[in-house]
Amino acid sequence: MNNEYKKIAVDGLITSNPTFKLVLGTCPTLALTTMAMNGIGMGLAVTFVLICSNLIISLLRNAIPNQVRIPAFVLIIATFVTIVRLVLDKLLPSLYESLGLYLPLIVVNCIILARAESFASKNTPLKSVCDGLFTGLGFTIALTLMGAVREILGSGSIFGLKLWNFSIAFFASSAGAFFTFAIFIALFSIISEQVEKKRKIAKYNLFDAQKKTEVI
Amino acid sequence: MNKLKNNIWFKCISILLCIALISGGLLAILNDLLYVSPEERTSRAISKIYNEQKEYKVITEEEIEYNSVGKINKIYEIEGDLLFQSTGYNGYKNGTITVWVKIVLEKDSYNIDKVLLESYEKQTLMSKLGDSFYNKFEITDVTEKYKNGESFTPNGSGEMSNPVSGATYSATAGTNAVNTVIKWLGENK
Repeated sequence: MNNEYKKIAVDGLITSNPTFKLVLGTCPTLALTTMAMNGIGMGLAVTFVLICSNLIISLLRNAIPNQVRIPAFVLIIATFVTIVRLVLDKLLPSLYESLGLYLPLIVVNCIILARAESFASKNTPLKSVCDGLFTGLGFTIALTLMGAVREILGSGSIFGLKLWNFSIAFFASSAGAFFTFAIFIALFSIISEQVEKKRKIAKYNLFDAQKKTEVI
Repeated sequence: MNKLKNNIWFKCISILLCIALISGGLLAILNDLLYVSPEERTSRAISKIYNEQKEYKVITEEEIEYNSVGKINKIYEIEGDLLFQSTGYNGYKNGTITVWVKIVLEKDSYNIDKVLLESYEKQTLMSKLGDSFYNKFEITDVTEKYKNGESFTPNGSGEMSNPVSGATYSATAGTNAVNTVIKWLGENK
C-alpha cells in the first residue's frame, strides 16, 4: 500500500515529470517562465486544478458514461479553472495579470486531461488526489526552476529582487525559453538515466546475493 | 420509465446536465463572493500609478465618444492631476485598447506622466506592446498638441514612428486611446 503511494510520488516528481520527462504543458512552460514567481503561480494554479479535478473525476468514475467522459472531464476542469481565476483576480491581481491568457488555457492543459483520462478515471479518490498533488508539484518545480534560471540570466534578478546589473537578453526571449527548456530536458534525462542505472545495479546485486545464499 | 433509465443517451445527457448545473451553481455563489467592483478596479489602478492609495474626485464617469479615435470612460482628479480612463479604437480586428492616462499640470503646460494598460479586446499580440511602448508617451508636453489639434501619429513620422513592428493595429489602438485624452484636453482646457 505504502509502496504504491511512493511510486505515485516518484512518478509525478521525477520518472514521469510532466514537463521534463513527458514534455506536456509546453505552452505555459515556455511563455510564462520569464520570472520564477510566474512559474510558482502557474504551477500552484495547475496543482489546485489537478487535485480537485482528479478527486471529482475519481468520485464520479462509475457514474460518467464512457461516451461522454471527455466533455464531462472538461466541464469539471473548467469549473475549477474558473474558481482559480476568480480567486486570483480578487486576492492576487498582479499574479492574475501576469498569468494573463494562460490561466483560462489551463482548461485545455494536456497534463490535467491526461491525468484525468489515464489515472483519475481508473483509480480511487485518495490515489487520484495523491497523483494530482505530485504531478502538480513536479510541474511547479519544473516551471520554477526554468523561471529562476531565465530570470537570473535574462534579468539579473530572482523573485523580483535585483542581484546584479549583468543580464543576457537572450534568456528573456522566446528563443531563450526553448534553449533553457532543452538544457533542462537534457540534464533531467542524464540524471534519471544515472538513477535508473544505479537502481538496476542495486537490483542485480540483490538478485546475485540472493542466488549465492540459495547455493550455499 | 425503466426503458428511459436504461437508455445510454438519456444517461449521458443527464450526467452532463447534472455536472453543468452543480458547476453553474457553485460558480454563481463564488462569483458573488469574489466579485471585483469597478470602484475596486479603479483603486487598484490608482495604487499602481501612484504606488499608494489616493483619494480621488470624480469629474465624470460618463462616456464621451470621439467617433474615429476612441472614447473617454472616466475622468478623476487626484491631488491636482487628471487621471483618464480612455479606450482607443481601430485595433486588430477592429478591437480596442483601454488605458489609464495620468496628466500632470506643470506651470502652464499639461504633461503626460504615466500611461498604463487597463484592458483590451480582440488583440492577440499585446505582449509586443510592453512598457517601452507606453513609456514613449510619458513626459510629453501635450499643451501644444491639443491647442493645435494635433495628435500622436501611430504609424507615421514623428516621435511615434514605427512603434511596434508586428502589432501595428494594436499600437494604433493604444495610440488612439492617448489621442482621445489629447482631444478632450483640446476641447475642455
